[in-house]
Amino acid sequence: MNPQLWAVAVAGIVVLAAALLELIRSARARRAALICEGAPSTEPYILYFTGDGCTVCRTHQEPALAKLSGVRIDKVDAIAERDLAESFHVYTLPTTVVMCTNGKALHVNYGYASARKLEGQLADARSGLGATATA
Amino acid sequence: MSTELQTVDHSALKVNQTGIIVTVLVAFIGGVFYKPVELLIPLLAIVLLLGTFVPQLALFKQLYFQVLKPRGTVKPRPVQDRPEPHNFAQGLGGVFLAVSSALLVPFEFAGLALALLVGVLAFVNLAFGYCLGCQIYYQLGKRGLIRA
Repeated sequence: MNPQLWAVAVAGIVVLAAALLELIRSARARRAALICEGAPSTEPYILYFTGDGCTVCRTHQEPALAKLSGVRIDKVDAIAERDLAESFHVYTLPTTVVMCTNGKALHVNYGYASARKLEGQLADARSGLGATATA
Repeated sequence: MSTELQTVDHSALKVNQTGIIVTVLVAFIGGVFYKPVELLIPLLAIVLLLGTFVPQLALFKQLYFQVLKPRGTVKPRPVQDRPEPHNFAQGLGGVFLAVSSALLVPFEFAGLALALLVGVLAFVNLAFGYCLGCQIYYQLGKRGLIRA
């Protein structure tokens, strides 16, 4: 067979395997992060993990967060506050965590999360879904 | 935060990624008809590695700054950012292409597959803004292996 065809096959298998591993890793990290607790608050809030070297944070995530009006956003430098980042299993930047009023993590987004997605997750937190989802 | 942000022109990065994708595709498809075209892969490795250590020699970025930007073909897109993760990602691409070049003679399909993966990652960065090299840079910084 032509070496180009072999190369396409090998590259395709590597890409698929990487995508599968990424899915498994994010699912595991999300499960582990959802048992984490933060400070209780009167309103749901967002923990936003970022870093100096994160371009997507500046070009995509921060404009999306700016669209959420009246929501408390706690910006965390994942490098400087390594322990907090580790406790939420932050393995990629940006990472956003929607926190319930009882201080429990309800949703964890590894990678860019749109304003619409975050709005939906905040609505879940406001509706009291967090009390059961993180139990 | 550990270091000051600078203004990084993201259009230069996009032109660089486009250059990588086009060169890999030309080498890959051209190699079917005329094998010596695959020499573009080691040449691209040299261009990326040189550009990582001596920015003035970054061929595609210089094409942007010297030709495309002055002519208005590509509009500048300045973003407050750090250049180090992007340089790291470019260097990583250069290293992968150097390994790919070394593999081309004994295992042609493996060399081509590795070059193709570099092209795919450049495309993912260009189209979706996901930079794998930058994520590796973050992971190394988190472990204290580099100053991130």
